[in-house]
Amino acid sequence: MRFSEVELGDDLPEETQDITMERVQLFVKTVGMNFPRFTDHEFARKEGLPGAIVPGIMSQGLLAAMIHRWAPGSHVRKIDTVFRAPIVVGTSVKMTGAVTDLDDDAHTVEIDITVVSENGATNVLGTAVVELEP
Amino acid sequence: MANVDLQAVRDEWVGKVYDTTEFPIDAQHLVDWAVACGETESRFTEPDDADFQAHPGYVSHFTAGRWTPKGFPELGNGRGVDGGKAVEIFGPIRPGDVLTASTEIADVYDKTGRSGTMIFVVNRMTFRNQHGDKVATVDWRQIRATDG
Repeated sequence: MRFSEVELGDDLPEETQDITMERVQLFVKTVGMNFPRFTDHEFARKEGLPGAIVPGIMSQGLLAAMIHRWAPGSHVRKIDTVFRAPIVVGTSVKMTGAVTDLDDDAHTVEIDITVVSENGATNVLGTAVVELEP
Repeated sequence: MANVDLQAVRDEWVGKVYDTTEFPIDAQHLVDWAVACGETESRFTEPDDADFQAHPGYVSHFTAGRWTPKGFPELGNGRGVDGGKAVEIFGPIRPGDVLTASTEIADVYDKTGRSGTMIFVVNRMTFRNQHGDKVATVDWRQIRATDG
């Protein structure tokens, strides 16, 4: 995907991914956040959570990976997300993106991004600024 | 309205660096982060790739030695909740880099909605590599409820 091919309002290909316990365990081990609220459903429920939850910063990484699949070789210059509701480990999420602005000089696009859970709730929303080849 | 003079808090605290910490960058950690996030581009997943580098949000997991500066006022009720993160990337982060993060309070403001007034405290970590190049910033918004 090149900048010249993008139009305002374009949707990124929607993605659905299974956020498995194995992936979350790899992530939390890597970042030193190996807390049971992320990896132990029973423990998390005792804390009042719906189950073990996906770290918010991991959801940001999922969205960046989606952007790279839409525009291979692109550079995410900024990604800003708000974590509205927890994502439960072991569920599927739907990720979306829509182009909301273009900068002709910098060859950057602004994208609204979301992560939506199986029950339709929006868990994460935000924006990304991505630099593309002209 | 929160029962605190936020302008005075901003005047006293915004922009003052209160923590400096070094973070060495490890290739396997970069790979594991990217794989866990479902990344498929080799520049993030293959250390042998000529352009191998950290995934965009990688630095967001690094934390300062303190949540807030020593002496920072207690705002709202307790430590608060995570209001999200904004990561800005200025250049590639490579394995073997040693990043130095300087942490400051970037902003303090409030918003009033249906659930009352919330105070937002924004911590900013600015990452520079061993060459002194600014490679990323992370703004972390902490939200604190008030009785107002």
